[in-house]
Amino acid sequence: MKIFLLYILVILAILLAVYLYRVLRGPTIFDRVLGLNGISTKAIILLIVIGVYFDRVDMFIDISTGYALLNLVGALAVAKYLEQKGAP
Amino acid sequence: MVIKFRKVSLGFLFLKTMALFVFWVLLSASFEWVHLVLGVICSLAVAWLNSGHSPFVPKLRVWLRFLFYLPWLFYKIFQSSFHLTKLILHPALPIDPKLFSVKSKLNHHAAVVLFGNSITLTPGTITAEVDRNNLIIHALDKALSEDIESKEMESKIAYIFKDETPDL
Amino acid sequence: MIMLSIIFIVAGLFFLIVAAVGVIRLPDVFSRSHAVSLTDSLGASLMLVGLALHEGLSINTLKILVVLALLYILNPVIAHATIRAALRAGVKPWEKETP
Repeated sequence: MKIFLLYILVILAILLAVYLYRVLRGPTIFDRVLGLNGISTKAIILLIVIGVYFDRVDMFIDISTGYALLNLVGALAVAKYLEQKGAP
Repeated sequence: MVIKFRKVSLGFLFLKTMALFVFWVLLSASFEWVHLVLGVICSLAVAWLNSGHSPFVPKLRVWLRFLFYLPWLFYKIFQSSFHLTKLILHPALPIDPKLFSVKSKLNHHAAVVLFGNSITLTPGTITAEVDRNNLIIHALDKALSEDIESKEMESKIAYIFKDETPDL
Repeated sequence: MIMLSIIFIVAGLFFLIVAAVGVIRLPDVFSRSHAVSLTDSLGASLMLVGLALHEGLSINTLKILVVLALLYILNPVIAHATIRAALRAGVKPWEKETP
């Protein structure tokens, strides 16, 4: 099971790189915001998988909860700002 | 300087405080009385600060009907996820995106919120704009947009909120 | 139980990979948001259910399910806010060319 979880971690890291390509490349700024949103969802899963791998779920699950809530605030702030200002 | 106190419905305050307090207990996971009292004070303060937004308190039967609505929603999510997977992995990428507007017959603001959230949660359709009960929806495919226009989801949500007083 | 959790995790990973392929392949921001919502709703939920099954019955399982519920409530809000900002800022949706 440990080896299996290690493979899962590697595949998740590769998926993060795919989303990072969209963030760096994205034609409009909304593509970048969307890519960051995908990265945060992947990071939440990644943190919980790390917790299961090291047998410390009780510690990592709190970090992932905080990450989810902070991601909401950040994404909403960016969306509101761009909505009022218009696309650069 | 005149301090104006907003009108706060007690049921709303109680429900929100309980929800926040359960979240607090889950995160802190300790049952010493200092932590519990601090949690009650903090969740009461946060609930009171946020009490100006929506005075709507769902009744128990609304919660029950909502609970019976959830399995259907999950079934719908599975169905459209497989449809979307087929579309993305198809070599020719046979998508046909379309922006269309839907005028729903829902007459309660919570019902419109639930409708928009359900549409966005279902992969392949997304709510782009909400104005009272007119929604602008972006769908990736003809089958998905016809699914919204067939009004099946809307009638289920209208059944959940059928005996609330309309406010739209 | 271990087999069941492995099946759930692999199924969730499959949907995550499909969503990543969609984020690369699809043409504009509106269609890409559908791929991201596929990640959020099905991929993440299947993976988290698999991890919760692996953990067994404890307070940690409950916390994983709380994170799952948070994802289900918060992600539609983020997707809707981003798409509404894109629409109001005047991004033109991609459409299939009709010959």
